[in-house]
Amino acid sequence: MLSWSSTTEGRPADLAAIVRGEGDAGLPHGRELVAFAEAVAGYDDTALAAARERLVEVAGEAFMVDAAAVAANFEMMTRVADGTGARFADDPHGHRAALDAQLGIGTLTSAR
Amino acid sequence: MRIAEVARDAYLAAEPSPPWVRPFDDAALDVAYRLARHAGTLTAEFYEQVVNADPPKGLHPLDWVEVVGVVVAVLPPTAFARALGNPLPALPVAVDGPPTGVEAAELAPATLNWVPVAAPADRVASVVQALSALPAEWDNLWQLAEAQYMSDAQMADPLWNRGTLSRAQMELVAGRLSLIRECFF
Repeated sequence: MLSWSSTTEGRPADLAAIVRGEGDAGLPHGRELVAFAEAVAGYDDTALAAARERLVEVAGEAFMVDAAAVAANFEMMTRVADGTGARFADDPHGHRAALDAQLGIGTLTSAR
Repeated sequence: MRIAEVARDAYLAAEPSPPWVRPFDDAALDVAYRLARHAGTLTAEFYEQVVNADPPKGLHPLDWVEVVGVVVAVLPPTAFARALGNPLPALPVAVDGPPTGVEAAELAPATLNWVPVAAPADRVASVVQALSALPAEWDNLWQLAEAQYMSDAQMADPLWNRGTLSRAQMELVAGRLSLIRECFF
């Protein structure tokens, strides 16, 4: 979805930000968004507070609130997918496999 | 309500049980715990073990779907409040009476999910049909998705956004969090 949306926006994103948490993906406030997503997924409330404050500082409170909503949504969707054994449909042209390799997700336990 | 409490507590636990431990010896609670805290460790093999065992170690497949529905109802408001630094929302009070027992008019096995889904199976994406066996859980899931992210209709437009984050910025948050959660999908 990031590749699709960023390419459509005219600025293809660098997926290293997703894979390794490095850089800003070539997006405004990308670095702060990655740090915020990581902090939401983590268990350190102090780190989360710092990431939240930094995001508000650079992008404003409404931006941070919507980022929090997206993060909450994917705390949900990851459980829907993993809890119901969601799989992708056939990929006859190998596009999915190429992306899986780029992201390094084909060997995750949840793929079994 | 106990399933909801277990899911919320597992999500927030400072020192959680490891994924291979079944802390409750109760399938519904054990599945809720593992899904809330160690979702990326769930496998088809574990699902088959649970749905083929007798209670209390086992669950009917539709009970499994309902546990997933409860977990995904509890985690988003908890995660949202924590992300904002707000107090965590209280769980609702349980009401008396039997479960509704409402399920899809016809169920079908799916190839895109472990769980049974509303017939016909595999005509839509696996996450869309995932909870379709239980219409109330399916409705709740997609209401939450629309409020927090976007509707499935809006999803088809790669430029749709809320006027704050661009679509690519939304997907950056989604992608990084999902990878940390080791979610293959």
